[in-house]
Order: sequence, then C-alpha cells, then structure tokens
Amino acid sequence: MPSASHKYLTLFVAEASEHLATLQSELVRLEQEPPAAPLWDAIFRRMHSVKGSAATLGFSRIVDIAHAAENLIARLKGKEGKIERAEVDLLFAATDALVKEIVKLDKKEEDESTITLVDRLAKAAQALPDPALTAARPAPPPPVPPVADPSLPRLDVAVVLSKTCAAPGARAMIVQRKLKAMGTLLELEPTPAQLMQQKGGARITALLATLTATDEVREALVALPEVDHVEVRMAPAARPPEEGPPPPPVPVVSPPQAAMREKTPMPGRSLTPAPMEPGELRPEPTVRVRAEALDQLLDQAADVMHGIARLRDAAKRLPEPAAARLEAEIDRLRRTARELHGRVMSARLTPFSSLTERLPRAVRDLAHRLNKTIELDVQGADVELDRTVIEALGDPLSHLVRNAADHGLEDPETRKRAGKPGRGKLTLSARRERDKVFVEVQDDGRGMDAAALRRKAVKSAAMTKEAADALSDDAAYELAFLPGVSTRDDATEVSGRGVGLDAVQRKVESLGGKVSIRSTPGKGTTFVLELPLSLSMANLLLVQVGGEIYGVPLHRVLLTTDYDLSARGGEGFEARSLVVMGELVRAYGLAKLFGLPSLAPPGPRPFVVMEVDGLRFAISVDRLVGQEESVLKPLFPPLDRVRGLAGITVLGNGRPLLVLDPRGLAELCGIHDPLKPAPAAKGAA
Amino acid sequence: MPKRVLIVDDALFMRNTLRDIFSAAGFTVAGEADDGVQAVNLFRELKPDLVTMDIVMPYKSGIDATREIVQLDPNAVVVMCSALGQESLVMEAIEAGATDFIVKPFRGEDVLAVVKKVLGE
Repeated sequence: MPSASHKYLTLFVAEASEHLATLQSELVRLEQEPPAAPLWDAIFRRMHSVKGSAATLGFSRIVDIAHAAENLIARLKGKEGKIERAEVDLLFAATDALVKEIVKLDKKEEDESTITLVDRLAKAAQALPDPALTAARPAPPPPVPPVADPSLPRLDVAVVLSKTCAAPGARAMIVQRKLKAMGTLLELEPTPAQLMQQKGGARITALLATLTATDEVREALVALPEVDHVEVRMAPAARPPEEGPPPPPVPVVSPPQAAMREKTPMPGRSLTPAPMEPGELRPEPTVRVRAEALDQLLDQAADVMHGIARLRDAAKRLPEPAAARLEAEIDRLRRTARELHGRVMSARLTPFSSLTERLPRAVRDLAHRLNKTIELDVQGADVELDRTVIEALGDPLSHLVRNAADHGLEDPETRKRAGKPGRGKLTLSARRERDKVFVEVQDDGRGMDAAALRRKAVKSAAMTKEAADALSDDAAYELAFLPGVSTRDDATEVSGRGVGLDAVQRKVESLGGKVSIRSTPGKGTTFVLELPLSLSMANLLLVQVGGEIYGVPLHRVLLTTDYDLSARGGEGFEARSLVVMGELVRAYGLAKLFGLPSLAPPGPRPFVVMEVDGLRFAISVDRLVGQEESVLKPLFPPLDRVRGLAGITVLGNGRPLLVLDPRGLAELCGIHDPLKPAPAAKGAA
Repeated sequence: MPKRVLIVDDALFMRNTLRDIFSAAGFTVAGEADDGVQAVNLFRELKPDLVTMDIVMPYKSGIDATREIVQLDPNAVVVMCSALGQESLVMEAIEAGATDFIVKPFRGEDVLAVVKKVLGE
C-alpha cells in the first residue's frame, strides 16, 4: 500500500535523493581506486537506508531494486580481484532506476523495466559467493552438548511462530534465549540457523531441564512477540545425561565482523566521545535544517540590522546628551547584530563537494559518449561557500566541465600523437584565499586557439579586425566570453551551441565574482572562477534616477560631486568628461544607460565617481538619497541577464532595491574599449 | 509514568515515523540518535526504558552500540529495527544482547505489540 500521502514523504524523497547522489560518486570511485571496505560499507549503507525507509512507505518497487542492489553490493564486497565494469554499470542502472522511481512516486503501474533490472541484479549477485554464508554468518552455538542435572524435571516445549514473522531465525533465537534463561536447554529443533530466511509459521520443539513450573515456562514464552501458540508438558521420562569427553576449552572469539560493519574502536567509559582512529573523525553533532529556514533567518538578521540603522537615524535627532547615550547603546546592539548575521552566514556555508558530487558520474558518462578516457580529479571538496553561491554555481560549473571534456580534451589518438597520455585529465579544485574562493576547472587538452577566437570575434561583429589583432593572446582568450564566439565550428551533442561561456560569465558576475581564462596551446586550459566566500554586508550609496532608487557599492565609490554638464552638452549627453581631483574623467548618465527618464531639472547634478580596475568614471544621477548597510543577494532570472546590475537587496522599509555593478556599468559605458564610441544603452532594467 | 524511549536510526524519515508511533501511544521520546556512537552516549545520559536501534548506521553499527549499551546496563531493553533480508545481522544483534527486534516495513501496531510485550505490559 504505497502511502503517497505519508506526512514524511517529502523527507523520504529528500533523504533518498541525497543518498543516491552521493552513491553515484562513490560508484565512480569503485572504478578508480582499489575499493576498500569503508567505501563498500558506505555504498551498502546508502542503498540499505533507501530500502528501509521505502519499505516503511510501502514503495515495493524501490524496495525490490534497492534490495537486489544491496545483495549484489554485499557480494561484490566479498569478491576478490577487480570489479567488472558491467557490475558497476548495473549498480549505476539501479541507482538511476531508484532516482527515477523517487522522482515519480505516484506512478501506480508496475514497471516492466524494474522487473528486468531486479532480475539482472539478482543474476549478477548469484554469480558471486554470499559473504553471509561464507564469513559473516553468526557464530553457531558451540557444539558442546549441554549437560543437565539428571534429577531435574524435563519439559517438552513446542512453540509455534506466527505466520507473519519476517525473521523466524531471529525469533527462534529469542525463544532459545528465553528457554536458556529458565533452565538447561538440552535440545532445540530446528535451530535458529536452520530457520533463517524461511517464511513464518515455523514450529520449534525443545527439551528443557528445569525446576520452573510448566505454567511459568508457558507464560514466559507466550509473552514473546510473534509467538502464536505454546505447549509445555512434562517429558515422559528423564533422559540419561549425555556422556562424552569434557568439552574442549572454547577460545573466546568475538563473532566475526558483519559484512557491513565499520571498524570502530570500543568507546571509553567516560562521557566524552569514543576515541577515533585517525581519518575517522566523528563530526560534531548536527541537525538538518530546511534551507528555506536559513534563508528566512538571514533575511531577519538583515532586518534587525536595518532596524538598527533606522534607530541610529532617529537617535541623531534627539537632544545632545541623550543622543550620545542612545547611540552608544545602538552601537553595541549593532555589533551583536553583525555577529548574529555573520553566524547565520556561516551556518549557510556548504562544502564544495555538494557541487562536485554529481560530476564524476557525469564525466564518466560523457567520456563514454565521446569515446575519450577522462580522469576527474576533485581537490578542495571541503572548501565551503555560501549556499546561494553553491546553488548558482551548479550550471556554470557543469557547463565548464562539459566544455572541457568536449572541446578541451582531445581523443586518445590525438593525445598520443602529441606525446601525451591517452587519458585526459580534468581537475576541479576549490581553494580559499581570505574572503575569496577560487574554483578552477583545468584540462590538459589542446588549449585555446587565439587566432581562431580573433577571427570569430571579428566575424560576429563584436570588434574590428584592427582591435582584434591588437589583442595579446591572453586577452584574445577572453573573447570566448563574448556571445556567439566559440572556438569550434561544429556544435556537438554534448556542449551544444547557444548557451555559451557568456552565460557562465554572467552568472559568476551576478554572484559578485569574476571568471578568467589561462590557456597554453597544446598544454591545456584553466578557467578560474573567483567568488566571494559568502554574500556579505555591503555598504550602499542610494541614488535616485527617474523615480527609481538604486544602490551603489560604496567600496567602488571614489567620491560624489555636483557638476553642471548641461551647459556643455544639454540633455541626453552620453559621454562627456568632468574634472575629478585634477584628472579628466568620463561621465555618463545612468538614466541614459538604463533607458530611464531623468526627472532632474537642468543644472548641476550629482555625479558618483567610481573606480574599476584603476579606471575612473562618473555616473550622473538625479539625487543622492542616503546610505544603507545591506545584504546583497544574487539576481534571479531574467534580471541576472541585465548588464550593470550586481544583485538585489531589501530595504528596511521592505522595498526591494537593485544594486548596481560598477564593473558591468563600466563595460556598458565602454570605458575599457578606447577604440569604440560608448555604446547606446543595451537591455533596459 | 509514560515510558521513555530512545530512537536510533540514521534516516530522519525513520526517526520521525517512529516518533509519531510512540508519541501517539503515550510514550515519551526521550531522545533520538542518528549513529551508534551517539546512541551509546545518549543511552548513558538518558537511561531510557526502551531503545529502538537501527542496525546499519555510520560510525558504529547498531550491533556494536547494542553490545555497549547492554554492558552499561544488562537490563537495557533494546529492540532492533531491521530491514528485510538482514536476518543474520538481527541474530548477531540478539547475541550481542538485543532484547527483541522488528522488521521493516512495520506498521505502528506491529511496533507497539513488540514493544509492549518486551516491556511486560
């Protein structure tokens, strides 16, 4: 009875999906390294966990697949020698099928392919020895004939187990233990081991030497779960005690390690956690929190900071001695709020591995499709980034990996001709430097073709031939980020055409990061993504243009000044210049850039002078509104496609505020490109 | 006084399901652990009347945890929660001192039937 309405269904789906995602990368590791017991144990445990929860929900297809896969895993673990590709493929197929099942849990009809897959898994498992039968079977009771005082009464006992009993062997063991607790158990038939893996309804008979009354024995047995019926009566005649040589001393042997048990040292007696072997550190206790709850917490922490900012403003209007005292308190409060905000931020940090988990599987499949052999190396899996950054990075990263596998790495023959190993290497790494995280996607392939990129850029009318020829090779590589420029003419099934590196760049920049390329012909290409460790509090200068308010990150603002350009160019000026600290700086109108009406009367206007990469430029606005400290969040589609916007934030009054991206603005203005006139405004906000 | 139960399972889904079953039957869920190490520590701390113990868990299996719990308190009542096809592990757990067991998938009444019997109710 599949209970699709079970209240924990979503929880099951979340947990199972997580297990299956990790399972995929663990399966890839099976092929890469000689698999060690802990890896097998982890794989087994995930499959097992999915099975157990699914069984409780009554999802029999999931249980069937997971159970068959689990059996195969248990046997593969015991197998000596190399794991066959076909076997791993089968486990992948099982994982895929489970993912599919979990995605559409409400589908009712029995799936033909499930039956076939379960069959294939079972066949593969049958071909291997059962570790439970060879090694891990529970130690049978030592074959020491029990000896009982001949004067004790003998009881004949019969116990009928209930038909629904799912583990009669285990149940028989409980019965056996109960009997032993009441006297000397002389016989037990069938033994627990004989009852293993049989269906319920078994009848167990025993001969017990005891002083305990028959009724008492019966009651003790009836009290056991899954016992339907009990008969106890005095045996017809006491049997003679068993004669024989004294039992050999039985060495104390701990029961064999179960197939899926992890090696863990015994804990100390103290209350402190058990000492662990190196490399087997137990993480601090954790709780699972809905991601959304963390988002809300962050929003509220930001709200508190906004409230404090407003309090500060209000305090300024108080008469002096009171104002100073209140401001001191507010400052204290602000420090606490900042700390709170920081803590929420760090709670949102997610390891890089959550991004790379799925990649080994993807690369493996890609390599097979492309007829290449690719080794994927992930470094810095434990480097942490903000959850929002991690989520936004998924697509760009898989795009870069696909790109590297498809275009960067050559096929094995080409590689060998070039004197390289046939197997291409793809390295994905994350490392932290102060408040930045660098993510690199590196291949040892053919490298980029600067000349081809220049031709393409000219062909797509992105720049003139002169401008293209003037670029250094390193600068030419960056042309790959221009829309419509790709180094190869053939669109492939894998990378396709269309969604290009420009999308990657846009995404990374919307996170407040940047992306660059290093490439050496014949040696390979590296994409470097420089990302903020977390979304930080940004000090914003609020400016108004055409009835809209925008935020400008203050760390990019050099100064603000009033200037009257209308005397020189009138309304609609595009690029004039003004003098800032004795230097001529180009000036642009924000209204014009964003296609907004300017509401400011003619005459002097405020200009915000910004600096990007050492280049200064000024943007005119209608009015300077004020200053605010705020949490910057990345833009969501389609706003993330708008050049010149860095993110969004919510003001203290609850209104959303778009935050400008000075680098994007500089590009929009064309200040980097002295060869072209400033372009007209592109996409409107 | 309501009986106090410690629920041990690495799947939050299973823990929640068991918690609902026990709460509805008037038990107090004294604690929850998601691995064997935590289970032993919580047992020591909480001294529950009953432990439900998953078998396959990270860091320390339910069998090892049961063995340690029974060493701490020979009268501890530990009910193993096993999945189908784990009979040999259940038997190993019984040897290690588990009081009884239930096999997944279980219904609430199955769990309570076993639990009430082992608690002598």
